[in-house]
Amino acid sequence: MELPSTGLTTSFGTLVGRRRQIGGLLGYAGIWAFMAIFLIYPLIRLFYDAFTTNEEAFTLMNFYDFFTDSYYLQALVNSLLLGIATVITTSVIGITFAFLLLRYEFPFRNLFSFLSIIPMIMPPLVGVMGFVFILGRAGTVNVILMDYLGFTKPINFMYGIHGVLLVETLHLFPLMTLSIVDAMGKISPSLDEAAESVGSRGLRKFWDITFPLTTPGYVSGALLVFIWTFADFATPLVVGIDNLLASQAYLNIVQFVDRRLFKMGIVISAIMILLAILFLIVAKRYVAMKDYSSLSYTVIERRKLSRAGRVGVIIFLSAVLVFAFIPYLGIILDSFGRGWALTPIPVKYTLQYFQRVAIETPKFILNSLLYSGITVLICIIIGVPIAWVMARTQLPGRDLLDSLTTLILALPGTGIGIAYLRAFREPFPFTTTALIGMWIVIPLVLGVRRLPYTVRGTFASLQIVHKSFEEAAESVGARRTTTFKDVTLPLIWKGVLVGSLYSFILALQEASATLLLVVPGHEMMPVGIFNFYIGGSVNEAAALGLILIVLGATCLFAINKITGTKMGGVFG
Amino acid sequence: MKEILMSAVLISALIFCCWGSSQAQPIENELYLITPVSKDVHDPVLRAFEQYAKKKWNIDVKTSAIPKGTPVAYGQILEWKGNPQADIFWGGEGILFDDLAAQGLLEKVQLPQAVWDEIPASIGKPVPLPIKDPKGFWVGTMLEPYGIIYQPKLLKRLGVEIKDWDDLLNPKLKGQIAQCTPDRSSSSHATCEVILQTYGWEKGWEWLTKLAANTGIFTARSRDVPNVVAKGEFAVGFGVPSYMAFAEVLGGYELMYVYPTNAYVTPEPMAVLKGAPHAKAAHAFIEFMISEEGQKLISELGVYPITPKFKVQGPPGSNQEKAVAFTGGVRSFFDIPVGNVYDVTLAGEKKRVEEVNSYFRKEITEKHQDIVKDK
Repeated sequence: MELPSTGLTTSFGTLVGRRRQIGGLLGYAGIWAFMAIFLIYPLIRLFYDAFTTNEEAFTLMNFYDFFTDSYYLQALVNSLLLGIATVITTSVIGITFAFLLLRYEFPFRNLFSFLSIIPMIMPPLVGVMGFVFILGRAGTVNVILMDYLGFTKPINFMYGIHGVLLVETLHLFPLMTLSIVDAMGKISPSLDEAAESVGSRGLRKFWDITFPLTTPGYVSGALLVFIWTFADFATPLVVGIDNLLASQAYLNIVQFVDRRLFKMGIVISAIMILLAILFLIVAKRYVAMKDYSSLSYTVIERRKLSRAGRVGVIIFLSAVLVFAFIPYLGIILDSFGRGWALTPIPVKYTLQYFQRVAIETPKFILNSLLYSGITVLICIIIGVPIAWVMARTQLPGRDLLDSLTTLILALPGTGIGIAYLRAFREPFPFTTTALIGMWIVIPLVLGVRRLPYTVRGTFASLQIVHKSFEEAAESVGARRTTTFKDVTLPLIWKGVLVGSLYSFILALQEASATLLLVVPGHEMMPVGIFNFYIGGSVNEAAALGLILIVLGATCLFAINKITGTKMGGVFG
Repeated sequence: MKEILMSAVLISALIFCCWGSSQAQPIENELYLITPVSKDVHDPVLRAFEQYAKKKWNIDVKTSAIPKGTPVAYGQILEWKGNPQADIFWGGEGILFDDLAAQGLLEKVQLPQAVWDEIPASIGKPVPLPIKDPKGFWVGTMLEPYGIIYQPKLLKRLGVEIKDWDDLLNPKLKGQIAQCTPDRSSSSHATCEVILQTYGWEKGWEWLTKLAANTGIFTARSRDVPNVVAKGEFAVGFGVPSYMAFAEVLGGYELMYVYPTNAYVTPEPMAVLKGAPHAKAAHAFIEFMISEEGQKLISELGVYPITPKFKVQGPPGSNQEKAVAFTGGVRSFFDIPVGNVYDVTLAGEKKRVEEVNSYFRKEITEKHQDIVKDK
């Protein structure tokens, strides 16, 4: 951190300055130590395991086994195809939503804009469970078709790869909408006007102005959607699909007995991470944070629609949202309904499931809140300084920090969970406990996984605060810390808060890494949902899921209140 | 003088001992299980043990279970390398327990001799199936068959009746059967072995392939099978432990159970892990399980007592009577002829386990789509 040294600096000042400089550098070193221990080391350990035999000798056989096994290759192809298909479907819906919400004026626009983000709040498993309750072979729709409309066979909406695509699409399109809204919001209308003044209109204008300027936002949204689908193993398993990479990684890694399968689980995770890095390199041009040209949102003039247009838009948006809200309906019905089978809606209702998950065993909720809270603290302590270093300094290594935080976004949770499992299994010196046996590992892995949201939120805010404010404060003798406290912080707290709330929501919902690392007695809600589900208590799983959804929606509402309509940014 | 000194030493030693033992807690205040036995059973049992410990020693024991399929739990215990994060391993096949004991990862069971002797050594004919370890490293806790379940409404609609294994191959059941895979669930593995040992290797695989042709879903875990059948998503479940299906009945769902010929009956073995952080609580828990109180509790959950001394019996309308009706009138597995072809020494050998699992994976799971198309 270069300190301004003017001729007025006294020797005392230099001393204080140097001490501050050392303190700052120590902090910077601390950040790097954190990244090295909790991100780089586990990944290296995973690759080490993937390239060695059980006797720790170097080998390429593991990869040879993978690439010569037609089943695994099929899984790889299926995963890639599913990812691409989801990107396409979410793009169609997400872009349409973004475009309508941003450019046109119609009744209930604000309501739609809020509702369209809600589907993102869907803990793993809960979404697909909800869909099965309504659209499964014995779900509401098929029961009505068969009992009342004379169908002899149920329609298969869910079981198969198309079911996975349906669930992922309706869950993830809001990510795409947010990214696009964010990107389009940054296009200054003056550019539009300029284009029009030289005769560029319609498609031509879209192609020349809108398209290139929204590409970065779109690409990063697409990458997130792709990776999310790519890493999800819970959804496919519920609908009976297991020839996907993430499902195979999960199913193999829990096979401790068969050491060969266990090794294949590690190898598959390594391959997933390699692929993620590859995608990231391809998309790097668009997703690096530095490329943010401007973060001031411009007011876009919205066009009025004709009467027919208004009706059409409202019908379209409502139709998509009805589909997207199907799982919520299913979850609500199942969490209150007792013995619900083969009837359109439950016939008996009870509160016993809520009593069981919230009152008898409150640990899931309490652990979730506590660990997500610690996660946010870790995100702030590590993430805010990272953002500051990137926005305000020229320190060596900041480009690498940028790449690392972006890499985290692309890392599949299953992969990082398995990496932790391998990296932190040895007990600490002089004790019998290893890090993976302690609950702190959960907030740590969540902290790493959710770091990018805080970094991006803070970075975005720092970009808006002009450096001259800080320089002005320093020129009148304020210390750096004072400047930060009195000038910078009041201006950026919203960004930090929004980033942290996103980190919080996403930490609450995370289950891919934590499922593998769960410590008995310290389960969080998504792990509870998973355990209830595989333990046969589907109703309890639904009840816990509903509580989690309500918590998430509350946080989202808070974000909405804080930022107004200017959401996004953190995903960009 | 010497005698006085001696008695003084003795007395002080005695006092010290009494003082010492009154200071040390009779059991620790925590207890963790690692178990494939699902929540339906492990949860009520743990709750009951908490109350029992409170009453007996006035100690609040914090209990929890790590739910894992048998193979996974076994692997996890190996992975812990003698520093387990759980105290008790409960459920699955006896042979895995023997294997753990041979690797020095289990402690001997500490039951009073009389209680130990009440449990018969084995059950089933022509092949006897051990229900306690002659070397004393594990003990059976309850008897439970792995059979067939069905959703009565759906079955009626399909016009199918199920009495025994072969009824599952009825072409009308195409796409209606839910099962787990043998590498993910020990009940599924044991049931496949029953088929393989009944029909022989070649014919057995043919049978399982035909079953796959009727199978609509291979679930991620064995507990999902009764779950999807209870919901009505699929009509029939294969290789399902009785209590898992009964739990759905207690939860308000409609399900029926069939105990087919030679179906595997598991004793759900229990053992204390070597190096268990709460060993005393673990031993107390085993004693509780085998006691009348423990056995009565499990008889309400759709499983059967481990000794001939206790039967599943209760007042009309009680859970016990519901369980008896559910399994077709069985009150104790020591009262009825138990057919068993499952040979532990053959089926349990590690090589054989891996052979069956990988054959199933290669020839059935991975080719499932083709099998369904061909038939």
